[in-house]
Amino acid sequence: MNNNVLDCRGLTVRFGGVLALNALDLEVGRGEILGLIGPNGSGKTTLFNVVSGVYRSDGGSIQFDGEAVTRLSPQALCRRGLARTFQRSRLCLSLSVFDNVVLGAYRRINSGVVHNMFRRRAFADELKLYVEKCGELLAIFNPQLTTRLFDPAISLGMIDRRRVEICRALIGQPKLLLLDEPSAGMTQDETSQLMRELIAVRRQLGSLTIVIIEHEMGVIEQVTDRCVVLNYGRKICEGRFAEVATDPVVREAYLGRAYTKSPVGPA
Amino acid sequence: MTSAQRAAPWPAIIAAFVFAGMLAAVAAIDNQRLVIALLCVFAVVWMAAMRLGVLARVERSAGQYPHALRGAILLAALAAVALLHEDNFGLLMIATVLLYATCCIGLTIQLGYAGLSNFGAAGFVGTGAYAAAVFNWLPWLPDPLVLVGAGLITVIVGSLLLLPVLRTRGHYAALTTLAFGIMFGVFVDATPVLGGPQGLKLAGITLLGWDFSNDIRVANFVISFYANYVLLALAIFALAIFIASRLDRSWLGIWLDSVRLDETASAVFGVNIGWWKILAFTAGNFLAGLAGATYAQMMGFIAPNNFTLADSLMLVSAVILGGIGNRWGALPATAILVLLPEKLQFIQEYRLLLFAIVVVVILMASPAGLVPRRIRRLEPGVVA
Amino acid sequence: MDIVAQHLLNGLMQGTVYGLVAMGFTLFFGVMNIIKFSHGDVLTLGAFGALVAAGLLESAGLGAWPQILAMFAAAVAVTAISGTEIARFFVLPLRHSPTLNILLLTMMLGTIIRECLRLFFPNGGNPQRFPALLPPGGISFGRVFVRYDGIILLAVGIALIAFVQWVITRTRFGLAVRAVAEDEETARTMGMNFTRVVRLTFALGSGTAGVAGVMYGLYYSEINYAMGVLLAVIGFSAAIVGGLGNMWGAIIGGYLFAGLQTIAVAIAPAASEYKTFFAFLVVIMVITWRPTGLLAERRSERV
Repeated sequence: MNNNVLDCRGLTVRFGGVLALNALDLEVGRGEILGLIGPNGSGKTTLFNVVSGVYRSDGGSIQFDGEAVTRLSPQALCRRGLARTFQRSRLCLSLSVFDNVVLGAYRRINSGVVHNMFRRRAFADELKLYVEKCGELLAIFNPQLTTRLFDPAISLGMIDRRRVEICRALIGQPKLLLLDEPSAGMTQDETSQLMRELIAVRRQLGSLTIVIIEHEMGVIEQVTDRCVVLNYGRKICEGRFAEVATDPVVREAYLGRAYTKSPVGPA
Repeated sequence: MTSAQRAAPWPAIIAAFVFAGMLAAVAAIDNQRLVIALLCVFAVVWMAAMRLGVLARVERSAGQYPHALRGAILLAALAAVALLHEDNFGLLMIATVLLYATCCIGLTIQLGYAGLSNFGAAGFVGTGAYAAAVFNWLPWLPDPLVLVGAGLITVIVGSLLLLPVLRTRGHYAALTTLAFGIMFGVFVDATPVLGGPQGLKLAGITLLGWDFSNDIRVANFVISFYANYVLLALAIFALAIFIASRLDRSWLGIWLDSVRLDETASAVFGVNIGWWKILAFTAGNFLAGLAGATYAQMMGFIAPNNFTLADSLMLVSAVILGGIGNRWGALPATAILVLLPEKLQFIQEYRLLLFAIVVVVILMASPAGLVPRRIRRLEPGVVA
Repeated sequence: MDIVAQHLLNGLMQGTVYGLVAMGFTLFFGVMNIIKFSHGDVLTLGAFGALVAAGLLESAGLGAWPQILAMFAAAVAVTAISGTEIARFFVLPLRHSPTLNILLLTMMLGTIIRECLRLFFPNGGNPQRFPALLPPGGISFGRVFVRYDGIILLAVGIALIAFVQWVITRTRFGLAVRAVAEDEETARTMGMNFTRVVRLTFALGSGTAGVAGVMYGLYYSEINYAMGVLLAVIGFSAAIVGGLGNMWGAIIGGYLFAGLQTIAVAIAPAASEYKTFFAFLVVIMVITWRPTGLLAERRSERV
């Protein structure tokens, strides 16, 4: 049995004349936390978008848990156990926290018209169940959120909104979680706290594979098992963070040739 | 639930009676100056209620005691009918307001819940009306079937537009229903078999053997036969509220909202966007057709110029003015839009102009409408 | 064959009017991402203004050509000013509102203009006779009769289309319009006076409609207070079918709509009242096939 949750081969994405992903090969092993790093515009979010079905690939193949899923719709991928967050926060701000989180459980909830409109007692039971689930999940990140379950999402601060987005991705019990810059806009302390919460959640939820896009190297170092570095849509390096951080090709990608004439010691 | 949030049933009950009373009063009084004075009083009362947080209390109460609210509305309606028992025109107008509000609720489901723009609503109402008129040629068809059948025909006609509605967004989507509204008007005007510009006549309703052209007699009390239509319209309005509220206060409401607010995020979490848009579009069209058919049979006569672009715009305006997404807001909004021009005869000529000015003012001052939609609180124990 | 040619000329005339209206819609959308539905009623306002101007000049004893010039001048002035002021007071402040609000707002503004014309213009509720100022008669090509005024108006219309195209594609102002249409913020950062560009764009688009209104009046010899409604819906449809923001799209859309109406009338003369029905039906089908219009660029949202 294939031990990779995600397997991308020769993945190519073009935007007009721009090659966002250039025949990319990428594997994500079951249960690992993979860091995805690279300079701006190197194709990290594009990769997430293609894998989650939001963009169509122009070439190559994607296998999810051994099954070919290239060109499937976002809904089909969600059904197979994929969940993600977005680089730019995508919460429905005029809806309550609960409404936002429970969206992540869409595939598990009974959306039959008759059930929802007429079988009110069954609906009430299901509602109670999910209110509890939401509360438990949010409590791992911030216990205060459980009292604000029915407040509008817009009344939450930035970090809490991030937490809500992550909970939205987690409540459906996905196999693979794609996190796109979860710590953007946060201070160092807030970021460390979020990462601790994330690790705690993963411990609770059992086997969950995570891919994190980050610019904050401290996060990558602290949390990931392995890293992949992209540049101009290609993979230029992979390995443990310590190895990747000192790789001259990686330094050149970030700092340019002028600064990589002589290798600098470990940070 | 904290004690601060646990409300009493009284605010909702009182509000129902007060509103019914206001409606009946405006419908009954003929003297224009008195009507204007009354309206000023109501406006002041309304604004005071908003300031003092009374409306919030009423909404909380209504949310927690739906059965009390329904009972109160029924009793209040019956009281209003009894009050207006001789006033044919007043009863007719109340029935019209209720049917109009039903169309607005259908539009709320499409627009306020699912985010589908519909600038041809009058075309759907008209489809229901003309369907009823055509069914009129089959006198053996019982009226309940006529009404439901008209709703279904409207759904079928609407389903022809599903493909463009689902594939387009924004302004391009607006064109689809806008064009349909115009097409409907042109079609019925040009087709002689549908009466052309002259329109069609219909017989009144007979439900379960009771002919609606009979006055209601209770002991020695005689109530004009239009009360039959008021009660039917009330039942249809109640059905509309039922559909809208069950949709909204369930998982479906959340899915509809998320489709409206963010299609990409919804898709990523598995939401079948097309299916929910179809549901909302269909439900709204059914209500429009049902209301249109009832209206047609009540009036006894329909013509193409009952269902013009201006009427579509009036419906959309009522939905926006009542607070977009607020299903109860349709009622006061339509009450104002329907009753005022009728009651204030001197503004009849200027009604469209005044109406347009009011809409412009409100859109500029309060874009979310007069009564904004409350956030959904699906707290366990509060589910109706 | 002669009937076909007759229809063809009628269609060309209609198409030019629709195209001019559609150009306005697309210009406004391009520069501000909004649809200004009062455009049709502004056109009507201009036509009524032209009527007044002609009347004044006629009582002053001036001949046909001064009257015609005055009509066009008055219409352009009235539409340019009213279009710009509507933009300034109602549309600019609300341009970040939801689509629906702006559509409804501008539709209502149009209604206000229309009702004011109906209520306050002398005998406004009835069709107004437009003076027949262009040379009457025409030339016969075999059995096809081509009106002189038709030729003149067609020439004027096409010249105007060409002029607007030239302004947009070959002048600095046009460049500014296109820059603002592409990206408001960047254009502002580059030093363009956003408000001024917007105002001038509205003046250009509305003025174009003014000419269209006078053309319509001169060709059909009458105008009425409600003529703007259907023209606006058709112009809007034409702009959408062509692809909002694309000038050529608007022009093609206009001629397409007129062409559809012409085909309907030519094929089934007995059922000519259905021509608009048929044309809209095809429009809906085109939109279903190409949800962003025939010529529009596909815009993608940054996810």
